[in-house]
Amino acid sequence: MAYAYLFKYIIIGDTGVGKSCLLLQFTDKRFQPVHDLTIGVEFGARMITIDGKQIKLQIWDTAGQEAFRSITRSYYRGAAGALLVYDITRRDTFNHLTTWLEDARQHSNSNMVIMLIGNKSDLESRREVKKEEGEAFAREHGLVFMETFKRECLILTMRRMALRSVLSTRRQEALAPAVRVLAVQRAGAAVRCCAAHTERAKRG
Amino acid sequence: MDFFKSGLKTVLGASEPGQLPSGAETVERLVDRVNNSTLLEDRRDACRALKAMSRKYRVEVGAQGIDTLKQVLELDRADNETINYALDTLNNIMSPSQFEEEEDNPHVPMNIGEQFTEMFIKDPHNIQLVLDLLDEYDFRVRLSTVQLLTSLLTNRTKDIQEIILVKPMGVSKMMDLLGDTREVIRNETLLLLIKLTKGNANIQKIVAFENAFDRLFEIVSSEGYSDGGIIVEDCLLLMLNLLKNNSSNINFFKEGSYIQKTLPMFNTPSDSDDAGWSPQKVSNVHCMLQIIRTLVSPSNSAQIISSCQKIMKNVGLLDALCNILMTSGVPADILTETINTVGEVVRGDVANQDFMGNIMAPSNPPRPAIVVLLMSMVNEKQPFSLRCAVLYCFQCYLYHNELSQASLVQTLLPSSTDVSTLTSGQLLCGGLFSTDVLSNWFSAVALMHALIDNPGQKEQLLRVLLATNVGSTPVSLLHQCTLLLQQTTKLQSKVALLMLLSQWMSYCGAAVSAFLQVPGGVGYLVNQTCSNEHDDNEYLLQGLSAFLLAICIHFNDDSVESYTKDSLKQLLVKRIGVETFTAKLSEVSKHELYNKAAKHPQLRVKIPPEILIDYEFCRLFKVLESVLIQSVSIHQENHSSEDQQPPPEDNLEQYKTLIRQQDARLQELMQQLDGLMQQNNALQAALNDSIASNSLLKDENTLLKAQASAKLPSHHSSQSDQSSQATPGQNSQSSQATANTDQRLSDSENRVQALTLEVNRLTSELRSALDSKQQAEVELDRTKKAQEDMRKDQDDLLELLADQDMKINEYKMKLISMGQSVAEDTPAENELNLT
Ligand SMILES: Nc1nc2c(ncn2[C@@H]2O[C@H](COP(=O)(O)OP(=O)(O)OP(=O)(O)O)[C@@H](O)[C@H]2O)c(=O)[nH]1
Ligand SMILES: [Mg+2]
Repeated sequence: MAYAYLFKYIIIGDTGVGKSCLLLQFTDKRFQPVHDLTIGVEFGARMITIDGKQIKLQIWDTAGQEAFRSITRSYYRGAAGALLVYDITRRDTFNHLTTWLEDARQHSNSNMVIMLIGNKSDLESRREVKKEEGEAFAREHGLVFMETFKRECLILTMRRMALRSVLSTRRQEALAPAVRVLAVQRAGAAVRCCAAHTERAKRG
Repeated sequence: MDFFKSGLKTVLGASEPGQLPSGAETVERLVDRVNNSTLLEDRRDACRALKAMSRKYRVEVGAQGIDTLKQVLELDRADNETINYALDTLNNIMSPSQFEEEEDNPHVPMNIGEQFTEMFIKDPHNIQLVLDLLDEYDFRVRLSTVQLLTSLLTNRTKDIQEIILVKPMGVSKMMDLLGDTREVIRNETLLLLIKLTKGNANIQKIVAFENAFDRLFEIVSSEGYSDGGIIVEDCLLLMLNLLKNNSSNINFFKEGSYIQKTLPMFNTPSDSDDAGWSPQKVSNVHCMLQIIRTLVSPSNSAQIISSCQKIMKNVGLLDALCNILMTSGVPADILTETINTVGEVVRGDVANQDFMGNIMAPSNPPRPAIVVLLMSMVNEKQPFSLRCAVLYCFQCYLYHNELSQASLVQTLLPSSTDVSTLTSGQLLCGGLFSTDVLSNWFSAVALMHALIDNPGQKEQLLRVLLATNVGSTPVSLLHQCTLLLQQTTKLQSKVALLMLLSQWMSYCGAAVSAFLQVPGGVGYLVNQTCSNEHDDNEYLLQGLSAFLLAICIHFNDDSVESYTKDSLKQLLVKRIGVETFTAKLSEVSKHELYNKAAKHPQLRVKIPPEILIDYEFCRLFKVLESVLIQSVSIHQENHSSEDQQPPPEDNLEQYKTLIRQQDARLQELMQQLDGLMQQNNALQAALNDSIASNSLLKDENTLLKAQASAKLPSHHSSQSDQSSQATPGQNSQSSQATANTDQRLSDSENRVQALTLEVNRLTSELRSALDSKQQAEVELDRTKKAQEDMRKDQDDLLELLADQDMKINEYKMKLISMGQSVAEDTPAENELNLT
């Protein structure tokens, strides 16, 4: 149960591209062929091991329907990473990537890792978006790109994302000691200032 | 300014009302001032005055000032004091409660705050204005803003929730306030969040996502867990809101290891502890128990329940809860709720049920906790709600657990009767035949739960013998129950016995046969069913009797000669009639208390008279009702095939799995079909192509043939034309022509042949092209696979590299900490560049 790191990720992208299926495959180790439209968001979790360390991934699967867009925006700020998903058999889902990216960049922390996923690559015969196009888009926007439909690809993607998060956390931690001292000092000061208030303030 | 001040003074002092401006006029003047004055100080004073008037003259200030006030929020943001007056005024106007000042003013409508709220939120932008003020660090402004939002939410919960939900960062901003180091703000924010999250799953999820559980547990722990003040209760109420009916959040709570964090809440005060159970502690623990129950509520999905139950056992929570049961001095309502909670934590989980069954109470002599609990259940002096809780807990203990069912029945069997120790079975038998009607009911229902879906125990229980009087021959338990059913006049006892017998005899021919042998049993049921009394409870009794009678028919194994299946059926048809029987049966599910009981496994009753029907009985009734009606109305010849059907629930389950399997199969086949359709399309296209080219060649061929034959007939006709006047010269000429034509004919034929060959060649070429295309595709697939493998390898290498980088980083860190300087390069970026 103990873990070295905990990261929160979100899955975004148009409705029907297969976000919930990806989450289920990742957390429950199964593919569910029929899945309802997501309402709001759903939560899933999974532990992975990197470098012998347990890493807990908490994943929020958002609803792709336009009506839920504003709810989804509430999830960017707290997320360490996002899986941006499109469906290679539906060009419109690829065309909308820019909008998604804008939304994500506007509402998230600057260091949020974004992975681009071209989903349903098992449906080769119905392909509308070439793999090269996905790659080009990813290169242009500095994203990591993957075409997935197999579980293994997905896990690998998640591991890569987690790896990035670990690295970025470690880099922050390297700076942390100094920051932490500052924080403690400031908190101490605040406590003293408010001590007088506190007694009166407690409701009872 | 002076004029205004004195004006206000007179209004507020109001010694001579006749001559002085009315409240409305003063308000109007003040609003004007806020609107038109260019001096900030003027506006500030006017706002302060409006605030002062807004309690007594709420209607006037609200009606005239609401627009002006929100303008202030927008335009005077730089001045905290003014903003604060405006906020307080708005807060007063929209306050959900009545002020003392307006108590005897008949002109103030009761829901005035709600009406003004409605006006205020007509423009959703106004909420944004208020939300923006949360960014203000000033203590007063922040506090007033939080309070205003709380009032707004109290008045129009749903509307405001929807508005806030679509404001980016709306919810997040409020969550940030939980981290405010000023406790007043933090505490007010708790109240705000409780209102905000009420009944709105989307908001609940965002709040959970924003680390609410972490924050709340931090606060709870810093306040001293259950010994903390009302703040702890507020935190727990908020958690409860976040979890209720929200499986996503429950999942998050479980996955986030928060169940473990509830443990310190259940530290019971030791006897030496002076504080003991303060009212606040009772509330806090009660809340926490509610949270636990929300996680394992029978209305959750089976998957969630079972994983939460396992965690609760593993982290020692079940143990802690059972400890509370065994501790003395625990207040009754905490004890009751803990019993309910323990029940739900063990319900249907064999390991947990086992754990519970093995707990010994520290009594003298030591007894199993279960026995001690049952002692309370059949004890008239115990509080009613506690007795109900014990029944529920015991039902949970037996639920889906053949072993615990068996061990209960075991305690009643002759072999194990050890007079010196008190057993569960003895307690229940005692309760069954006691003079306390509630004990009858609780015991009958408890016993009934030992028989659910358990044919083995139904037969075992038939072996139980009771010694009624000293010296008389012992009678069977079933016999005694049947006699009691005929003798008792109490409704609850009758209903309880009818339910017990129904559960016992359904799917059990031996029990039916035992019942049929009890004198008067069948007659009693027939009389009850025919009875003609009119009141809801009588209808219920008639229906239940009809139900049991039909069970006697349907599950009859014809072993009692006087009451075979057929003879009983005839009896029913003659004495009661199928129509009447059906009508009586249908009365059961019409009873108010039946419907109440059918909703939830736990009895949710407040007073003893409401106790009548049990949840599991409702399930049995639902399953059997139509089966029995059919069985009774079906003609005698074809009944035999229906004997000993497997339980319908099993059937239902079987059908469900079957449907699920078929669904999956269907899905699979659909996918296959999809693929085949595509393949078919491609082949069709290729076929069309070759058909087209074939027919092109054919056309050409026909054309040539036609050309060739066009030559022939013209030749023939000229020949016949000329034949009448044939001359040798002409003849030779014509033979020359014939030779010519022959020549051309054979030319044509040659060409046709050549073309046919060409067609053949092209066709075979096409075929080989198709073949090679197929080969190429196979090759392509192989290459693709290889490529993918290589990519995977590359990815793995990448990971390895990154892992190494991490290690390097670590070593660097160590070096740095040891005072070495290290060349500055960032390994993570290298990794990024590589991908
Ligand atoms: N062939 C194929 N179908 C997939 C794959 N992933 C998902 N699907 C199908 O795509 C449909 C939509 O999948 P969902 O996961 O519900 O889509 P979503 O992105 O969560 O949609 P919203 O919840 O509305 O945002 C389902 O019918 C899935 O069976 C895949 O990898 N291959
Ligand atoms: Mg979905």
